[in-house]
Amino acid sequence: MSDAVLNNIRSRRVVREMSDAPVSREQLETILEAARWAPSGGNLRPIRYIVIEDAETRRLIRLVAPGMFQHAPALILLCLNEEVMIEHSLPPSDRALLIDIGTAAQTIMLAAHGIGLASGPVTSYSKEAVRVILNLPDSYSPEMFICIGHKAESTRRGMKAWKKITWRDLTHWERFPPP
Amino acid sequence: MNENWVLKEDEAVELLALLITSARIQLDEPAHYGPLRLLTASERLSGMILERASGKSRDFLQANVERIPELHMRMSDVDAYAAGLDALCREVAECLLRHSSLEEKT
Repeated sequence: MSDAVLNNIRSRRVVREMSDAPVSREQLETILEAARWAPSGGNLRPIRYIVIEDAETRRLIRLVAPGMFQHAPALILLCLNEEVMIEHSLPPSDRALLIDIGTAAQTIMLAAHGIGLASGPVTSYSKEAVRVILNLPDSYSPEMFICIGHKAESTRRGMKAWKKITWRDLTHWERFPPP
Repeated sequence: MNENWVLKEDEAVELLALLITSARIQLDEPAHYGPLRLLTASERLSGMILERASGKSRDFLQANVERIPELHMRMSDVDAYAAGLDALCREVAECLLRHSSLEEKT
């Protein structure tokens, strides 16, 4: 792994306040093309991406998304496509689906950071209200928004860590001792 | 009693959207997110009515807009979070007194 990749991983932050500066279609396409390379369980790719640039649609989404503090110029909504799940006999409870959402989200956020953009995930929203606003097909389940934009000059700080942790606190080597 | 309208219908509907969707998503979220949603609603309501509010409330509302986002970030420090909320509660009580007839009697 190159230093550039490691530096990108280490320096990315969740951004909760964004400026009015626009994001270009080319930048969004670069991010979405990167997301296409995110790992997917069984390579089944059940995620579909919906990009929302329209200002009024973004405003309405934000009103039903209490966790969306950002006024982002672009939103990417990660949806699970139930047609793909049915086709491959994947039950909604299959944890591989959550893992796919996670790998796609992280890939999107790293790609955004890599081209100088800020990002922030949002899962606190009413799925049913989002369905209505976006006219989502019944087979699409809206799982996560990623706000894409530019970090505001004066930005809301991220939530303080519950306690300071290092990678060592999160890692156990080899077998646990017998009980 | 100040009888001036300070909230527009569109703003009220936006606030309703926040409150109703917060009630739903709270079923799926950690309990301590509940106060956060209420504070978000308080911040937005303060911002909505700030310009049309009377002098009795304006400083309090302005402080809410500025300080509530900071308060969110203290959630991981329960004591500091509680202290910040207590300070807000004292200020809201002072604002209530400014709007009541009690202050005029003393």
